[in-house]
Amino acid sequence: MKLKDGFILRTVAGETVVLPAGGVTDFDMMITLNDTGRFLWERLSVGAEETELVSALLAEYDVTEEVAAKSVAAFVARLKELDFLA
Amino acid sequence: MPETSVRLAQLLPLMQERLAAGESVQFTPQGTSMRPTIYGGRDQVILSPLPPKLKKYDLPLYRRDNGQFVLHRIVEVGECYTCVGDNQFALETGVREDQMIALTTGFYRKGRYCRVDSAGYQLYCRIWHWSRPVRGFVQRCFYGVARRIKKILGK
Repeated sequence: MKLKDGFILRTVAGETVVLPAGGVTDFDMMITLNDTGRFLWERLSVGAEETELVSALLAEYDVTEEVAAKSVAAFVARLKELDFLA
Repeated sequence: MPETSVRLAQLLPLMQERLAAGESVQFTPQGTSMRPTIYGGRDQVILSPLPPKLKKYDLPLYRRDNGQFVLHRIVEVGECYTCVGDNQFALETGVREDQMIALTTGFYRKGRYCRVDSAGYQLYCRIWHWSRPVRGFVQRCFYGVARRIKKILGK
Protein backbone atom coordinates (compact mmCIF):
# COMPACT_ATOMS: atom_id res chain seq x y z
CA MET A 1 0.00 0.00 0.00
CA LYS A 2 1.38 3.37 -0.96
CA LEU A 3 0.36 6.98 -0.95
CA LYS A 4 0.03 8.80 -4.24
CA ASP A 5 3.00 10.97 -5.19
CA GLY A 6 3.25 14.65 -4.47
CA PHE A 7 1.93 15.09 -0.94
CA ILE A 8 3.54 17.55 1.41
CA LEU A 9 3.48 17.23 5.19
CA ARG A 10 3.99 20.32 7.32
CA THR A 11 3.45 21.50 10.86
CA VAL A 12 1.18 24.56 10.82
CA ALA A 13 0.19 26.30 14.05
CA GLY A 14 1.17 23.19 16.00
CA GLU A 15 -0.95 20.90 13.81
CA THR A 16 0.33 18.36 11.29
CA VAL A 17 -1.27 18.91 7.93
CA VAL A 18 -0.90 17.06 4.64
CA LEU A 19 -2.09 18.22 1.28
CA PRO A 20 -1.71 17.23 -2.35
CA ALA A 21 0.90 19.28 -4.20
CA GLY A 22 2.67 19.09 -7.54
CA GLY A 23 1.50 21.70 -10.05
CA VAL A 24 -1.50 22.78 -8.00
CA THR A 25 -1.47 22.62 -4.21
CA ASP A 26 -5.06 21.95 -3.25
CA PHE A 27 -5.80 23.50 0.15
CA ASP A 28 -9.36 22.20 -0.05
CA MET A 29 -7.97 18.67 0.17
CA MET A 30 -5.85 19.42 3.21
CA ILE A 31 -6.29 17.16 6.22
CA THR A 32 -5.04 17.51 9.77
CA LEU A 33 -3.33 14.53 11.37
CA ASN A 34 -3.10 13.79 15.07
CA ASP A 35 0.03 12.10 16.48
CA THR A 36 -1.19 8.62 15.56
CA GLY A 37 -2.22 9.79 12.10
CA ARG A 38 1.22 11.26 11.52
CA PHE A 39 2.84 8.05 12.78
CA LEU A 40 0.80 5.99 10.30
CA TRP A 41 1.26 8.49 7.47
CA GLU A 42 5.04 8.38 7.77
CA ARG A 43 4.99 4.60 7.50
CA LEU A 44 2.51 4.61 4.64
CA SER A 45 4.72 7.02 2.73
CA VAL A 46 7.39 4.31 2.58
CA GLY A 47 4.92 1.68 1.45
CA ALA A 48 3.94 -0.12 4.68
CA GLU A 49 1.11 -2.65 4.39
CA GLU A 50 -1.95 -2.60 6.65
CA THR A 51 -0.61 -5.47 8.82
CA GLU A 52 2.71 -3.65 9.21
CA LEU A 53 0.85 -0.53 10.31
CA VAL A 54 -0.99 -2.53 12.99
CA SER A 55 2.32 -4.05 14.19
CA ALA A 56 3.93 -0.61 14.28
CA LEU A 57 1.04 0.79 16.35
CA LEU A 58 1.26 -2.12 18.79
CA ALA A 59 5.00 -1.57 19.18
CA GLU A 60 4.67 2.19 19.72
CA TYR A 61 1.43 2.61 21.67
CA ASP A 62 -0.14 0.83 24.61
CA VAL A 63 -3.19 -0.51 22.74
CA THR A 64 -4.77 -3.89 22.13
CA GLU A 65 -4.47 -5.53 18.73
CA GLU A 66 -8.20 -5.06 18.18
CA VAL A 67 -8.00 -1.31 18.79
CA ALA A 68 -4.87 -0.99 16.62
CA ALA A 69 -6.49 -2.91 13.77
CA LYS A 70 -9.66 -0.80 13.98
CA SER A 71 -7.64 2.45 14.02
CA VAL A 72 -5.59 1.42 11.00
CA ALA A 73 -8.68 0.26 9.09
CA ALA A 74 -10.45 3.58 9.79
CA PHE A 75 -7.38 5.58 8.75
CA VAL A 76 -6.89 3.62 5.53
CA ALA A 77 -10.60 3.86 4.72
CA ARG A 78 -10.47 7.65 5.12
CA LEU A 79 -7.44 7.91 2.84
CA LYS A 80 -9.19 5.74 0.23
CA GLU A 81 -12.27 7.96 0.47
CA LEU A 82 -10.07 11.00 -0.18
CA ASP A 83 -8.34 9.15 -3.07
CA PHE A 84 -4.95 9.64 -1.44
CA LEU A 85 -3.77 6.05 -2.03
CA ALA A 86 -1.98 4.90 -5.17
CA MET B 1 -14.13 18.64 1.47
CA PRO B 2 -11.76 17.37 4.16
CA GLU B 3 -12.03 19.02 7.53
CA THR B 4 -9.27 21.00 9.21
CA SER B 5 -9.04 23.39 12.12
CA VAL B 6 -6.19 25.38 10.56
CA ARG B 7 -7.16 28.86 9.39
CA LEU B 8 -6.14 30.68 6.22
CA ALA B 9 -3.94 33.15 8.13
CA GLN B 10 -1.99 30.25 9.59
CA LEU B 11 -1.65 28.70 6.15
CA LEU B 12 -0.28 31.85 4.54
CA PRO B 13 3.42 30.88 4.94
CA LEU B 14 2.70 27.47 3.36
CA MET B 15 0.70 29.10 0.57
CA GLN B 16 3.53 31.55 -0.07
CA GLU B 17 6.06 28.70 -0.04
CA ARG B 18 4.14 26.89 -2.80
CA LEU B 19 3.70 30.09 -4.81
CA ALA B 20 7.41 30.87 -4.48
CA ALA B 21 8.12 27.37 -5.83
CA GLY B 22 6.12 28.37 -8.92
CA GLU B 23 3.09 26.26 -8.03
CA SER B 24 -0.53 27.27 -8.13
CA VAL B 25 -2.75 26.85 -5.11
CA GLN B 26 -6.43 26.00 -4.99
CA PHE B 27 -8.89 26.80 -2.23
CA THR B 28 -12.52 27.64 -1.56
CA PRO B 29 -12.99 31.30 -0.64
CA GLN B 30 -15.70 32.43 1.75
CA GLY B 31 -18.05 35.41 1.73
CA THR B 32 -20.54 37.01 -0.64
CA SER B 33 -18.59 39.96 -2.03
CA MET B 34 -17.67 38.30 -5.35
CA ARG B 35 -21.15 37.09 -6.26
CA PRO B 36 -22.43 36.37 -8.84
CA THR B 37 -19.01 35.45 -10.24
CA ILE B 38 -17.77 33.36 -7.32
CA TYR B 39 -19.94 31.99 -4.52
CA GLY B 40 -18.09 31.62 -1.23
CA GLY B 41 -18.15 28.11 0.16
CA ARG B 42 -19.23 26.65 -3.18
CA ASP B 43 -16.70 27.64 -5.85
CA GLN B 44 -12.93 27.14 -5.90
CA VAL B 45 -10.25 29.53 -7.12
CA ILE B 46 -6.84 28.72 -8.59
CA LEU B 47 -4.21 31.23 -7.53
CA SER B 48 -0.82 31.59 -9.21
CA PRO B 49 2.34 33.54 -8.40
CA LEU B 50 2.02 37.29 -8.96
CA PRO B 51 3.09 38.65 -12.35
CA PRO B 52 5.54 41.61 -12.41
CA LYS B 53 2.59 44.00 -12.65
CA LEU B 54 -1.11 43.50 -11.98
CA LYS B 55 -3.60 45.05 -14.38
CA LYS B 56 -7.18 46.25 -14.49
CA TYR B 57 -9.79 43.49 -14.06
CA ASP B 58 -7.25 41.13 -12.46
CA LEU B 59 -8.57 39.25 -9.45
CA PRO B 60 -5.82 39.09 -6.82
CA LEU B 61 -5.83 37.74 -3.28
CA TYR B 62 -4.51 40.41 -0.95
CA ARG B 63 -4.35 41.04 2.75
CA ARG B 64 -5.66 44.17 4.44
CA ASP B 65 -3.61 45.80 7.15
CA ASN B 66 -6.13 44.44 9.67
CA GLY B 67 -5.16 40.91 8.63
CA GLN B 68 -8.30 40.19 6.59
CA PHE B 69 -7.83 38.24 3.34
CA VAL B 70 -9.67 39.64 0.34
CA LEU B 71 -10.28 38.38 -3.18
CA HIS B 72 -11.50 41.44 -5.09
CA ARG B 73 -11.20 42.78 -8.61
CA ILE B 74 -8.81 45.56 -9.57
CA VAL B 75 -10.78 48.34 -11.26
CA GLU B 76 -8.11 51.03 -11.34
CA VAL B 77 -4.34 50.94 -11.47
CA GLY B 78 -2.31 53.91 -10.32
CA GLU B 79 0.36 54.26 -7.68
CA CYS B 80 -1.86 51.94 -5.67
CA TYR B 81 -4.73 49.72 -6.75
CA THR B 82 -8.44 50.32 -6.41
CA CYS B 83 -10.36 47.11 -5.82
CA VAL B 84 -13.99 46.10 -5.41
CA GLY B 85 -15.98 42.90 -5.13
CA ASP B 86 -18.38 42.09 -7.97
CA ASN B 87 -21.21 42.27 -5.43
CA GLN B 88 -20.09 45.60 -3.98
CA PHE B 89 -20.41 49.25 -4.90
CA ALA B 90 -17.97 51.00 -2.55
CA LEU B 91 -14.46 51.03 -3.98
CA GLU B 92 -11.47 50.18 -1.83
CA THR B 93 -8.65 52.56 -2.72
CA GLY B 94 -5.00 52.52 -1.74
CA VAL B 95 -4.36 48.77 -1.96
CA ARG B 96 -0.60 48.48 -2.12
CA GLU B 97 1.64 46.16 -4.11
CA ASP B 98 3.10 44.68 -0.91
CA GLN B 99 -0.38 43.56 0.20
CA MET B 100 -0.81 41.38 -2.87
CA ILE B 101 -0.34 37.64 -2.36
CA ALA B 102 -1.41 35.83 -5.54
CA LEU B 103 -3.41 36.21 -8.73
CA THR B 104 -6.50 34.23 -9.73
CA THR B 105 -5.82 32.44 -13.01
CA GLY B 106 -8.98 30.37 -13.06
CA PHE B 107 -11.86 29.21 -10.94
CA TYR B 108 -14.40 26.42 -10.72
CA ARG B 109 -17.94 27.79 -10.78
CA LYS B 110 -20.54 25.14 -9.94
CA GLY B 111 -17.81 22.64 -10.77
CA ARG B 112 -17.16 24.09 -14.22
CA TYR B 113 -13.69 25.52 -14.88
CA CYS B 114 -13.37 29.08 -16.12
CA ARG B 115 -10.07 30.54 -17.32
CA VAL B 116 -9.69 34.21 -16.54
CA ASP B 117 -7.92 34.87 -19.84
CA SER B 118 -10.85 33.60 -21.92
CA ALA B 119 -12.54 36.16 -24.17
CA GLY B 120 -15.96 35.51 -22.64
CA TYR B 121 -14.75 36.10 -19.11
CA GLN B 122 -12.87 39.25 -20.08
CA LEU B 123 -16.02 40.63 -21.72
CA TYR B 124 -18.05 39.70 -18.63
CA CYS B 125 -15.60 41.59 -16.36
CA ARG B 126 -15.96 44.74 -18.43
CA ILE B 127 -19.74 44.62 -18.69
CA TRP B 128 -20.05 43.93 -14.96
CA HIS B 129 -17.73 46.83 -14.10
CA TRP B 130 -19.30 49.31 -16.53
CA SER B 131 -22.78 48.46 -15.27
CA ARG B 132 -21.83 49.06 -11.61
CA PRO B 133 -23.30 52.61 -11.41
CA VAL B 134 -26.61 51.40 -12.89
CA ARG B 135 -26.69 48.36 -10.63
CA GLY B 136 -25.92 50.57 -7.64
CA PHE B 137 -28.76 52.96 -8.57
CA VAL B 138 -31.24 50.10 -9.02
CA GLN B 139 -30.20 48.60 -5.69
CA ARG B 140 -30.55 51.95 -3.86
CA CYS B 141 -34.03 52.41 -5.38
CA PHE B 142 -35.00 48.88 -4.37
CA TYR B 143 -33.86 49.33 -0.78
CA GLY B 144 -35.47 52.81 -0.69
CA VAL B 145 -38.82 51.38 -1.75
CA ALA B 146 -38.43 48.45 0.67
CA ARG B 147 -37.73 50.88 3.54
CA ARG B 148 -40.83 52.94 2.70
CA ILE B 149 -43.02 49.84 2.54
CA LYS B 150 -41.69 48.70 5.91
CA LYS B 151 -42.38 52.18 7.33
CA ILE B 152 -45.93 52.18 5.98
CA LEU B 153 -46.52 48.70 7.39
CA GLY B 154 -45.03 49.86 10.69
CA LYS B 155 -42.29 47.21 10.78
